[in-house]
Amino acid sequence: MESTLAAPSQSHSSESPIVKATGLERVYGEGQAEVRALDGVDVTFEKGRFTSIMGPSGSGKSTLMHILAGLDKPTAGSVEIDGEEITGLDDGDLTELRRDKLGFVFQFFNLLPVLTAEENILLPLSIAKKKPDQEWVDQVIDRVGLGDRRDHRPSELSGGQQQRVAVARALVTKPAVLFADEPTGNLDSKASEDVLTLLRGAVDDVGQTVIMVTHEPDAAAHGDRLIALRDGKLVHDAPPVSADNVIELLKTLA
Amino acid sequence: MLSLTFKNLWARKWRSLMTAVAVIFGIALVAGTYILTDTTNQAFDQIFNESIAGTDVVVTAKSEVDQQDGSTPSFSAGVLKEVRQVEGVDLASGGIFSQGAILDKDGESTGGGFSPQFISSTQPEIFEAVTYPEGRKPTGPREATLDKAAADRAELEVGDTILLAKVGKAVPFKLVGLTELGGSSFGGTSVAQVILPVAQKITGNVNRFDQIAIAADSGVSPEELRDRVQEVVPDTLRVETAQENADRNASEIRDSLQFLTIALLAFAAIALFVGSFVIFNVFSITVAQRTREFGMLRTLGASRRQILVTVLIEGLIIGLVGSIIGLFVGYGLAAGLSAVLKAVGAELPANALQVLPRTIIVSLLIGVGVTVVSSLIPAVRSTRVPPIAALSETLVTGGKSRVVVRTVIAVLLAAIGLILIAMTLISGTDGGTGAAQIGGGAVCVLIAISIFAPKLVAPAASIIGAPLEKIGGLTGRLARENAQRNPSRTAVTAAALMIGLALIAFVTIFASGLSSSVNKVIDDQLPGEITLQGQGGVVPFPAGAVDAARNVEGVEAASGVRYVSVKADGKNASISSVDPADIVQVYTVEWKEGSNADLTGLTDREMVIGDGLADSIGVGIGDPVTLTSQDGREFRFTVKAIMKTDSISLAGEGIITQTSMARDFDQRLDAVGLVKLDPDADLDSTQTAIEDTLKKQDYPTVDVLNQGELKDQQKQTINGLLAMIYVLLALAVVVSLVGIVVTLILSIYERTRELGMLRAIGMSRRQVKRMVRYEAVITAVIGAITGLIVGVVFAFLIGIPLSGDGFELSYPIGTLIVILILTALAGVLAAIYPARKAAKLDVLEAVSYE
Ligand SMILES: Nc1ncnc2c1ncn2[C@@H]1O[C@H](COP(=O)(O)OP(=O)(O)O)[C@@H](O)[C@H]1O
Ligand SMILES: [Mg+2]
Repeated sequence: MESTLAAPSQSHSSESPIVKATGLERVYGEGQAEVRALDGVDVTFEKGRFTSIMGPSGSGKSTLMHILAGLDKPTAGSVEIDGEEITGLDDGDLTELRRDKLGFVFQFFNLLPVLTAEENILLPLSIAKKKPDQEWVDQVIDRVGLGDRRDHRPSELSGGQQQRVAVARALVTKPAVLFADEPTGNLDSKASEDVLTLLRGAVDDVGQTVIMVTHEPDAAAHGDRLIALRDGKLVHDAPPVSADNVIELLKTLA
Repeated sequence: MLSLTFKNLWARKWRSLMTAVAVIFGIALVAGTYILTDTTNQAFDQIFNESIAGTDVVVTAKSEVDQQDGSTPSFSAGVLKEVRQVEGVDLASGGIFSQGAILDKDGESTGGGFSPQFISSTQPEIFEAVTYPEGRKPTGPREATLDKAAADRAELEVGDTILLAKVGKAVPFKLVGLTELGGSSFGGTSVAQVILPVAQKITGNVNRFDQIAIAADSGVSPEELRDRVQEVVPDTLRVETAQENADRNASEIRDSLQFLTIALLAFAAIALFVGSFVIFNVFSITVAQRTREFGMLRTLGASRRQILVTVLIEGLIIGLVGSIIGLFVGYGLAAGLSAVLKAVGAELPANALQVLPRTIIVSLLIGVGVTVVSSLIPAVRSTRVPPIAALSETLVTGGKSRVVVRTVIAVLLAAIGLILIAMTLISGTDGGTGAAQIGGGAVCVLIAISIFAPKLVAPAASIIGAPLEKIGGLTGRLARENAQRNPSRTAVTAAALMIGLALIAFVTIFASGLSSSVNKVIDDQLPGEITLQGQGGVVPFPAGAVDAARNVEGVEAASGVRYVSVKADGKNASISSVDPADIVQVYTVEWKEGSNADLTGLTDREMVIGDGLADSIGVGIGDPVTLTSQDGREFRFTVKAIMKTDSISLAGEGIITQTSMARDFDQRLDAVGLVKLDPDADLDSTQTAIEDTLKKQDYPTVDVLNQGELKDQQKQTINGLLAMIYVLLALAVVVSLVGIVVTLILSIYERTRELGMLRAIGMSRRQVKRMVRYEAVITAVIGAITGLIVGVVFAFLIGIPLSGDGFELSYPIGTLIVILILTALAGVLAAIYPARKAAKLDVLEAVSYE
């Protein structure tokens, strides 16, 4: 049924790519137990765009994101971030890369329970021993709408609030790319909407690049571009039209 | 359920093994102690049994008052004649076996440290237990043998010259043979053998014997002969069959070794007590981490009892494995301990290491018992997990209501502990019971403190963490927060360390107090500049040495001091005799009633008595006091004056004249010689002159020390003991460090996802490591500081009653600070493995970990 879908296009190549993956393969196990989680993926991501990655469970979404973010190494192929080849980097360089260029939002909120909301937001700067740009920090906190909750600990915040803190934490370093792995997977629809609006806003207002893995059509519809994976291969790449349209697409993939 | 337990243990085998370390050390010390003392006892049994070969009945003198050197009185040789008359005696022969000094031809001691040296007489062939692997038996007056082991140690051979000395000048002998006593090892002890009259002369026993060995006619049983001999000898003598004699000697040795056993077992108890904290902590954490699992088991229909049993069986297996490993380690430790004792000059005799069934049974019981008891509270807690816990995200923990219960228990325990300690100190109970009561009290107080400790963790961590936050920034902050996150976990970990450090602080303060008290005694009581001592300060020396020193140019006054243990109106006391002419110049007495004139004018059968002794037997000036000698004779003395006695009084608890000392108590040897120089004499050259004179006049066993050297020597003795205690306490400290390691590993495991997130947002491996390290340091320093405070307070409290006896505590601040720093470094060391583990966490696995 692949033929009915738009082929992976290079339609955005006119804009400058911030992430570029070529010939990505990721194989788990050997022989009988071999799993090709990624089976030859070429994809680029442009600055200032919000890309959603979709696909059935086990199609390789997380694997792709982990490899793009330097958290995992491909069996074959290469990844460039901001012009820098990252597949051969050692742990120290990858740490630097994460500090300087990447932001993360995970499904589980992953805040430090011992720190306040504001401290959690500033955590990446503290880790990197960078001085916070107070104006930007205030703006970020404002943006996530937690002004009055700055001094609360995560246990005193709702799930949606916690995830907004996590987004703020990812935004605070002005990363070249923000990776989000099912950021709304654990939230109700209202809280999901808040988080997605937040991400959308960051893209629109400050030109943040966002790459988000999701299996929720509503979430994917917030993006500028939707790519889909099946059995480790890129099978769809186009702007999303509507949530209904995305649901249709998923049906064809499953 | 049981197979689930095993699977759980296996799945967490490293953690379980580390938990086992908590008992391994303690059990190793228990087993090592038993193996060591059993081995020593067995060796002594063998020595005594070998040495009675050919003997049926033995006559020795009873000892009414035990002497410090353990010697027994000799008795008149006239008894032998009576014994020989007894019907059924085939052969009877007197012998000498007395402590003395064995030196090489240059006058250097051939023995080492605290091991005694003996001079013995040769025996008629049938009583002679020794064999001569080299050379032959001494027959002439200038011939001697030495036991082969001692000869090997001192590199002496047949044909060499040795010197023997006790009551007179050192006498040279030609080594004509080396001896062995069956296969027995003597440890560090050495025995030289000379013919009987020579042995009698050297040991000051002319016409006297230490023992008579008797062989029975055939057909006469030893028991029968013993009873017959008993009838003809005076009451002051003890007649035993040879076997009875060997058994009694062996059991006396056993009794005197009992002290070593108890001391070592006390350290084992400390290590196990600390270990129980570690076990408690590991089980508490594990149970908390498995809350969801227990909840799930409950939803599947598992009963509370089943949950309890699974946890307890885990404890039992860990305890069993730990005890078995501990037994093996203990076997090695026994060998190590005897090497340590050998190194400090107290080598014990040993043949093959003895592992008795008792050792195995006790070790296993204690190890399993400690583990199961320590895991009891966490196990009970595991049963409180409701089935709903299986479903909830957050862990269900104990409510607030138990805080009150805990506080009550803590206060009660602290009160009981303090009362126990106070009662023991006030009533002055000493010996084993006293120590046990103080120990029990201390245990109660320490547990009480550790129940309170969680409350202290937050503020303590903030204070200790502050400098770390300064230097470490965020990592310091997070480390501090992590330490505070689970206060009871940190508290128990720190409390384990606290116990070891409290004891270290305590003994450090005490040892330093002892050193300074000894220095004060030397400064206050000894106005002279030079002190004469027998070798190593333990062996008494001939009286002639002090006379020789007195005649050296530049010496103004000299007096020997002799000691004997007596009973004064039935109470054990150590009294001294001095030379009245010179004593007040070299020894400062603090008078309660009386004056120096009373001492210089002291006559026969008059005594100066110490105030402590006078009070306890209720006598004053002019009152009679009955002194009982070692051989049971009684003498009436009149109290002439009363002196103040400190706990370390050079004059003991009473002073009598040299004449009475020699005549009534048979003590003719000086233990110390006090020497005062002319005001214008040069210290160094006079000291050298005294040394030369003593050497020239054949008193090689006398050491000549100036006050500085004397203080150093005392300090060294104290520090030697302190070092040994440190080593034994180090076991407990190592156990508590293992506690830090395990707790950190468990906490890191719990925080896997958190660590992954930190790494994902840019934390470097180095920062992760630093964070873990700081957390360990904070925990260690909390333990160290509370430990040091507890140690100081205990030392202060126990020092109060002792201060009346002239014991002054001194607080070695510098040493305590060094201990604190070392503990912080130990924390860093404990963090190495957990930090590496945390840093190695795969970011990917950590963030996708559930
Ligand atoms: N650590 C791993 N070991 C073995 N197989 C794995 C591992 N991680 C993922 N896989 C397999 O790779 C495939 C892709 O996984 P993933 O990227 O997690 O899919 P998705 O996120 O799209 O659900 C799946 O078949 C999964 O079972
Ligand atoms: Mg996934």
